[in-house]
Amino acid sequence: MNMFLMIIFTLSAFLAVGGALSVAFAKNLIHACVYLLFSLIGVAGLYLTLGAEFVAATQLVVYVGGVVVLLLFAIMLTGGSNLHHVTSRFGLESTPLMGNLRTYIMGIVTALLLIAVLCNVLQGSISASAVVESKFSSTVEQIGVKLVTDHILAFEISSVLLLGALVGAAIIARPYRSSETEN
Amino acid sequence: MNETIVSYLGETLGYSFNWAGTLAIFFIASLVLASIMALIGGLGTYAERKISADIQMRYGPNRVGPYGILQFLADGVKMLLKEDCIPRDSDRFIFKLSPMLCLVGVLASLAVLPTSSGFILANLNVGIFYLLGATSVVGVGIFLGGYSSNSKWAMLGGMRGAAQIISYEVPVTLTILSIVLIAGGLSMNTLVGGQGAFPNDWYIFHNPFSFIGFFVYFIGSLAETNRAPFDIPEAESELVSGYHTEFSGMRFAFFALSEYIEVFVLCAIAAALFLGGYNIPFGLQEHGLLGQLLQLAVFFTKSFFLYYVVIWIRWTLPRMRVDHLMILCWKYLTPIALLNLVGTAVWMYCFDGKSFYMILKQLFVASGQ
Repeated sequence: MNMFLMIIFTLSAFLAVGGALSVAFAKNLIHACVYLLFSLIGVAGLYLTLGAEFVAATQLVVYVGGVVVLLLFAIMLTGGSNLHHVTSRFGLESTPLMGNLRTYIMGIVTALLLIAVLCNVLQGSISASAVVESKFSSTVEQIGVKLVTDHILAFEISSVLLLGALVGAAIIARPYRSSETEN
Repeated sequence: MNETIVSYLGETLGYSFNWAGTLAIFFIASLVLASIMALIGGLGTYAERKISADIQMRYGPNRVGPYGILQFLADGVKMLLKEDCIPRDSDRFIFKLSPMLCLVGVLASLAVLPTSSGFILANLNVGIFYLLGATSVVGVGIFLGGYSSNSKWAMLGGMRGAAQIISYEVPVTLTILSIVLIAGGLSMNTLVGGQGAFPNDWYIFHNPFSFIGFFVYFIGSLAETNRAPFDIPEAESELVSGYHTEFSGMRFAFFALSEYIEVFVLCAIAAALFLGGYNIPFGLQEHGLLGQLLQLAVFFTKSFFLYYVVIWIRWTLPRMRVDHLMILCWKYLTPIALLNLVGTAVWMYCFDGKSFYMILKQLFVASGQ
């Protein structure tokens, strides 16, 4: 890895890790969302240093352009900054507050799962021991060919899933039309 | 094929750069490109006022410099010297961040702007896809700008802006995808290089679907940059000034500048994808620096022509209503774009990738024999 890539890698890694830590420690949900944006851009930079431009661009298009905006909309439409005082009409907390037993249990279980997965992945890459040498050579053509040959089943299943999501969204978004009013 | 401007300079000068040289060249080239684009953005505001004045039979700015051409510098100085107002109840962190996010998204997209075959900052092999990703940061910036101001008008404007940008990304991306089908690659040099200097080789006249696709793309890009007739995020008659109501001074200038640069970028992409980009005839591109400069001239002429059309449309057509805007996107443009995509694929399969002109030529040649 030459020095240029090293600099880009360091910057992206700091952005990704720093962003992720800020997300975890941010008090304000919207701020956490913005930090998540930085973290995702950092991850895109990491993909770029590995030579996987397509994955990096997909990261930008899907996560920065789509998921973060979706998260922002979701946060905005469910309460905004005074989220801690929102109670439903039955006097229950409509959003689980951070820091009670339930969230701690959820967090610990998620962390253990993630560590287990990461250990598996790291074990594979350490035993292969040629990660730094073999740069990812995944161009668009290779990904495309792999998608419609080796992974055709996963491709088709996910396309059906996405179609289902689209139809569902269209049905949810339809206005309720009573018989006497039109449009 | 040159990967980046560094490898192009390396080939031309016969010298291989180390990491510091690479970094320095990237830094200088980015600085030059960003400055030129800021100048184009500034001149864009001047052009907008002059053309609107022309359309409305007024004079427009004519005091500062010859024909008022230095008006944008005076505006810039005024913006710099203005008091930096931040509303007391605003979200200060995001309020400061959002104009920068807008500008960063637009400036990041300049990296793959195909100004000529040599002067391209980075010829990524996913160029156009990267550009879509980079410009989507602008939507987040607009949304956060609207949210952080803690004002109803700004909030409504920001939400409209985000919804509009996300919606119109669909037809724009699908149309770009149909052009990618014709060119057979995502990199900018592949997309432009597949075309010729004369209109018969341009992708807009490649087949009927790409001809329709150009207009779908152009309408979609107008909406993505919040230009009239799709400027409902900043509709003056309803929302005061939309998502940048509470911004003043340089923060407002960042929003305005990013809008004007984004208009230029999307016009440039339209010129590159549909109107032949930087291609020049008679093999003139072989002549080293002269060829590059000619390519630059051709590219900027096409882009500025489209820029003029954008301004022309803004001062001619009335603003659309919100629901009409969404109906136009989801019920008309998206189905048309999908049809175009399928139609282009069928055309490429049936006619073996030949353009309309090539088929006609073949028919003439065959009938002559």
